[in-house]
Amino acid sequence: MTNSPATPARLVVGIDLGTTNSLAAVRAGKGARVLRDQDGEPLIPSVVCFAPDGQTHVGRTAKALRLTHPDRTVFSIKRLIGRSAREIGEEKQRLPYTVVAGERDLPRVQIGDRNWTPEEISSLILQKVKATAEQALGQVVREAVVTVPAWFDDAQRQATKDAATLAGLDCLRILNEPTAAALAYGIDGTRDGTALVYDLGGGTFDVSILRIEDGVFRVLSTAGDTHLGGDDFDELLAQRILRTLPTTSDPYVLQAVRAAAESLKIRLSDAETAELQLDLGERSAGHLSTSLTVTRSEFEAAIAPLVQRTLDCVQRAVKDAGLRLDQISDIVLVGGSTRVPLVRARLQAMTGKVPHTGVDPDLAVALGAAIQADVLAGNDRSLLLLDVIPLSLGLETLGGAVQKLILRNSTIPTSVTEEFSTGVDNQTAVDLTIYQGERELSKDCRLLGHFKLRGIPPLPAGLPRIAVTFLVDADGVLRVTAREQRTGAQASIQIVPSFGLTREEVRRMMFESIENAQADYVAREQIDVRNKAEAMVRGTQKAMLLAELPPDQTYAVQKALKALAKLLVANANAETLKHGCDELTKVTATIADDVISSAVTKALREEER
Amino acid sequence: MFGLTRSLDIDAQALEKRYLALSRECHPDLLRTQEVGDCAAVLQRSAEVNDAFSILRDPWRRARALLETASPGVLDRNKKLDPTFLADALELAEEVAFAKQEHVQPLQRRLAACVDADWAALRTAIEHGDLDAAARRFHASHYHKKALSDLELKA
Repeated sequence: MTNSPATPARLVVGIDLGTTNSLAAVRAGKGARVLRDQDGEPLIPSVVCFAPDGQTHVGRTAKALRLTHPDRTVFSIKRLIGRSAREIGEEKQRLPYTVVAGERDLPRVQIGDRNWTPEEISSLILQKVKATAEQALGQVVREAVVTVPAWFDDAQRQATKDAATLAGLDCLRILNEPTAAALAYGIDGTRDGTALVYDLGGGTFDVSILRIEDGVFRVLSTAGDTHLGGDDFDELLAQRILRTLPTTSDPYVLQAVRAAAESLKIRLSDAETAELQLDLGERSAGHLSTSLTVTRSEFEAAIAPLVQRTLDCVQRAVKDAGLRLDQISDIVLVGGSTRVPLVRARLQAMTGKVPHTGVDPDLAVALGAAIQADVLAGNDRSLLLLDVIPLSLGLETLGGAVQKLILRNSTIPTSVTEEFSTGVDNQTAVDLTIYQGERELSKDCRLLGHFKLRGIPPLPAGLPRIAVTFLVDADGVLRVTAREQRTGAQASIQIVPSFGLTREEVRRMMFESIENAQADYVAREQIDVRNKAEAMVRGTQKAMLLAELPPDQTYAVQKALKALAKLLVANANAETLKHGCDELTKVTATIADDVISSAVTKALREEER
Repeated sequence: MFGLTRSLDIDAQALEKRYLALSRECHPDLLRTQEVGDCAAVLQRSAEVNDAFSILRDPWRRARALLETASPGVLDRNKKLDPTFLADALELAEEVAFAKQEHVQPLQRRLAACVDADWAALRTAIEHGDLDAAARRFHASHYHKKALSDLELKA
């Protein structure tokens, strides 16, 4: 550990943006700590309620309102983010809120006459997380590492990044959840080994195998299912309850049954049987009430096929890592759904190892994200994370086949260079289409984007030789550069995102959200500028003691310094303060000798420490 | 790049240690504070280290790289395989396709032995400096590996 002060040099928080709950954590000493709200609660339900009175509630208050405003309360938005309306067709039938298809077949949540993108709803949750973190830390949070399931594809990652941008956060890294969890676990990089992280959350399942050696966490393989989680367990119980009721699509009933199913599941983690008495009162279908008893073995029989699916993923990940199960030294459980006894029992039976349970499975991901955040902030150079790309990237060839360019589980950054030519005389542009996925045909893979190579010199067909380099950076994001080999001309590349929001939409939404939260934004900016001005005043004062300046320059600096100090005392607005800072910078910068500016820099640096 | 002697066999532990050390030197995450974490050259270098490691740690990919460096184009020049071998390979593929569940395990062992034999022959050929023979054996091993992975899908 190179640096572990109470307040790190640069603050970057780790955020677990979960299907069910979200939270933030920050580096503290050798580990990390979660940031709690005023009531000491770390978990913020990932629920947004758009109340009819125009108020937007996020978190616990929103969750409490889900039965009051069932069709205006949005949960599990993570299951929709970065996907098309067509893909979620089946899923949306089960949701009490309305999902419609918007432009480019993107899903929109319809509340009254307003349509919300999943990115916007996620950004509301992130804003809440950010505000909670700011309150807990007593300082502004601008930068974050946000986690996603390892199995998220490019579109889902990009959409999550957009949500962070909309929430006013600079997302330094989209981090895979199981990788984050491994960082959080006592497997602190001082003990070498091979860990299997089994992460069963509300809506997604991930498994990752990591090799830990000399403080380097190297992901060997990852596998998973983005649509398998505790929600599905709830759904099975909900269907069981609904079978005892007359058929209905009443959103209130759906929300109430969901809530009842979840509580049944939780009780079945400890008890052999759980009883349910549900009185839904007078509904359009008449007075609805039901009572039933569910035994644990009944519940386990229902979820067994789902649990088996997770175990199949585990087998695949172990094989992809080039290992056998007995070569795994540690099993780590993450995600609330790993509390289900059957999950633990089956995993333990398969691996023959008792899983670690030292860290709260609900908090591990955020804690790990905070550790990686600290590394990216430059505060800790003892750890290094080497992650992989979860899905293969390929290029569409003639006939709709996909030629793999970069194989899944390649350590990132990674790159590959391919040569292309033209098919027609004097052709100056070539279209390339990139797909993500493991299947052989493009129709079975996920379209990632179109790339157009332009500026190819007009030559007979087949003569131009264009080397295209596909580079996947440390964020898992693809970058493409191209070069015509004969002329050395750099071909320009235009990326057309086939999915998610366009850059223009993100800009517009950000503008809107800033407008909506104008007061908030101004207050935050005010704090920032004030801090900067105060540091500048102190720094310059110190510098003046160190530097020996001719009287006229001393006078000019002192004058600007006094003016800025006065503005601070008068509690001037951000605009005026900024102007004062600029004035001071101007005089210190124009002084012929750079003695003072270097002295100022030095003093400022001390200030920052 | 890894400072190891170019050979078919590699000290896996030394390779890994060197890889981790190189990663610490050039991974963009640890260079962020120097404002170069995002620059193309850093990313490219880091990608090269990762890609080189993934080739070197896999014996077959290592063999391929070794052959290509020693004699560029040698693999392309030796794509034509012996017709009797191809007939045998075809027979094997059919056997895999129609294998009953109880035959899977013995067949798996047989195929694994074939791959091991390919490796041994490849090594001998390289030791004798017969790169063409090594290249042919390299191609031949594909048929056995393909049969093996088809069989795994079945199991």
